[in-house]
Amino acid sequence: MKHVTFLNINEEKREKFIFNKSGKYIVFFHNLSGKFFFDLKAKGIDLDIYGLFVGRNKNQFKVETIQRHIAPESTSNLLIKGVFYDESKFIYQGLIRIEKEAQKSHAYQKNQNIIMSDKCFIDSRPFLEILANDVFCTHGSTTGKLNQNKIYYLQTRMLDKSAAEKLLIDGFIREITAKIGEYGHKIS
Amino acid sequence: MQDPTVSNLDFEYRYGFSMPQKYTFKSKKGLDQDVVKSISDIKREPAWMRDFRLNSYRIFKQKPMPSWGADLTDINFDDIYYYIKPTDKQVNSWGDLPKEIKETYDRIGVPEAEKKFLAGVSAQYESEVVYESINRELKKIGVIFCDMDTGLRKYPDIVKKYFGKLIPPHDNKFAALNSAVWSGGSFVYVPKGVKVKLPLQAYFRINAERFGQFERTLIIAEEGSYIHYIEGCTAPIYTTNSIHAAVVEIFVHKNARVRYTTVQNWSNNVYNLVTKRARADENAVMEWVDCNIGSKVTMKYPSVYLFGEGAKGEVLSIAFAGNGQHQDAGAKMLHFAPNTSSRIISKSISKNGGRTSYRGLVQVMPGAKKSSVFVSCDALILDEQSRSDTYPYMKIKENDVTVQHEATVEKIGEEKLFYLTSKGISRSDAEGLLVNGFIEPVVKEIPLEYSIELNRLINLEMSGSVG
Repeated sequence: MKHVTFLNINEEKREKFIFNKSGKYIVFFHNLSGKFFFDLKAKGIDLDIYGLFVGRNKNQFKVETIQRHIAPESTSNLLIKGVFYDESKFIYQGLIRIEKEAQKSHAYQKNQNIIMSDKCFIDSRPFLEILANDVFCTHGSTTGKLNQNKIYYLQTRMLDKSAAEKLLIDGFIREITAKIGEYGHKIS
Repeated sequence: MQDPTVSNLDFEYRYGFSMPQKYTFKSKKGLDQDVVKSISDIKREPAWMRDFRLNSYRIFKQKPMPSWGADLTDINFDDIYYYIKPTDKQVNSWGDLPKEIKETYDRIGVPEAEKKFLAGVSAQYESEVVYESINRELKKIGVIFCDMDTGLRKYPDIVKKYFGKLIPPHDNKFAALNSAVWSGGSFVYVPKGVKVKLPLQAYFRINAERFGQFERTLIIAEEGSYIHYIEGCTAPIYTTNSIHAAVVEIFVHKNARVRYTTVQNWSNNVYNLVTKRARADENAVMEWVDCNIGSKVTMKYPSVYLFGEGAKGEVLSIAFAGNGQHQDAGAKMLHFAPNTSSRIISKSISKNGGRTSYRGLVQVMPGAKKSSVFVSCDALILDEQSRSDTYPYMKIKENDVTVQHEATVEKIGEEKLFYLTSKGISRSDAEGLLVNGFIEPVVKEIPLEYSIELNRLINLEMSGSVG
């Protein structure tokens, strides 16, 4: 299997990550507030960033991520998923910045949130600043409640509502755990 | 086949001409309380408007410049004429217009345009509307379409009820400036149930050096009515910077629909700082079609406040930034009521060191259940000097909603270019073709004569600098 550098920010306890060597990197964090910098300073970096948030009660998360491409021909791919219950709050600001020299960069950013209560608050700001032209960058953000048709379907299969919700949320979160699992790493 | 780069070398900016100036009144440069008072006095305005202006002037002085967005440090508020009255009174036939003004209009093509489509033309020369022809049909069905000053004189009750209610002076520094020194712009009132079939159009023009234009537009669409208003801008090239700080307020009542189309092509020295906002009541539909091609700096975020249940808001926008230009444009959608929906489609192109920024806000308030939001921003960057940014803000305070946002930034497809050039199409023509294809989803929403003009402009801008 290809060598992968795995970084768990919950254990690393730092906010600045500078990548100086090519290779595959995976960064993971869970329910962490802070401003996280990811500087891509070499060619041939393939960086995946996964963030997972589950907000309950009066939890508040304020997260900022900065994917900064300084060297050409690298890829960064960020996925942040959140499930928010009760009166939890999630404020996310993500920036992809491609410097002039970072031609042929690929940078992606996705933020998906599920709202489980009508008292929570989501503020999502996926920003792009692109100073090079030969690049491909996309970002996407979706926020909404669980698909009611799917819940209805599961209920017709004899699951009660909370079990149906749990099943769908597990599936939603599994995208991240499964991707990390592909590289032989596990998160609890 | 002729080399397109050759024809572009002697390309004269089509609207870059200026006529000798002949004014009956010109305020002194710069802005103080006396200038504001004299504007109000010359227009013989009611006391409430004079107070509104003076209060707005105080707010303008207090408000700081925006700390975000485009670079506005070069604006010198003391180096601008805030009011110029071009002719003594308004004329309503073409023949009565002074010669210079007629020549200016001839070059933009107003008379032809009039022959071709018009429901009504209102052309703004300097800060006063001097030429206005109102279709008899409009009057018959009770539609009011005049300049804002006339509107204030003839329909004070309607104006007082709505003026400054959606965009109060303290909204932002430039709204305050406009509120203090506004002049001209359009006043449109569509009575209940009236559907105006032809679009209403206004041509705007700045013709005095260092002169900022502060037009003010108010559109009221009563229950079940429909109106399409078109604003097209062209301006001569000057060496010093001009400001265009307009305010547009639109009230869309129950079941009514308003579409507002802008083709903005100010010359590349104009600061275009515009506040545009619409209020949509129950089941009302508000559509902004906003094309920004010209200006040095544009900061403009047309917004829809969805106050009524089932209201819909839409912004379709195109931004093109060439050398020295920064288009900081976008949209705002605020959902206050259940079952409201909004859609924002933005297409931006940057070239020759130009910069485009999409900046948008979507806010869903508690209780706006079953609302839906869709935002899509695509950007093309055509060369290494250019830049593109995307700054969308989404604030969701309600769970029973769906919000989607997506954005892409890329360069023009090399394979597509290669394919087209292999068929004998020159590289610049191929680029023009691809860019026009890129903006097509928005352009198809614009009336034909404008979309032709827009495609032509894009082709010109594209072929101007082929490497």
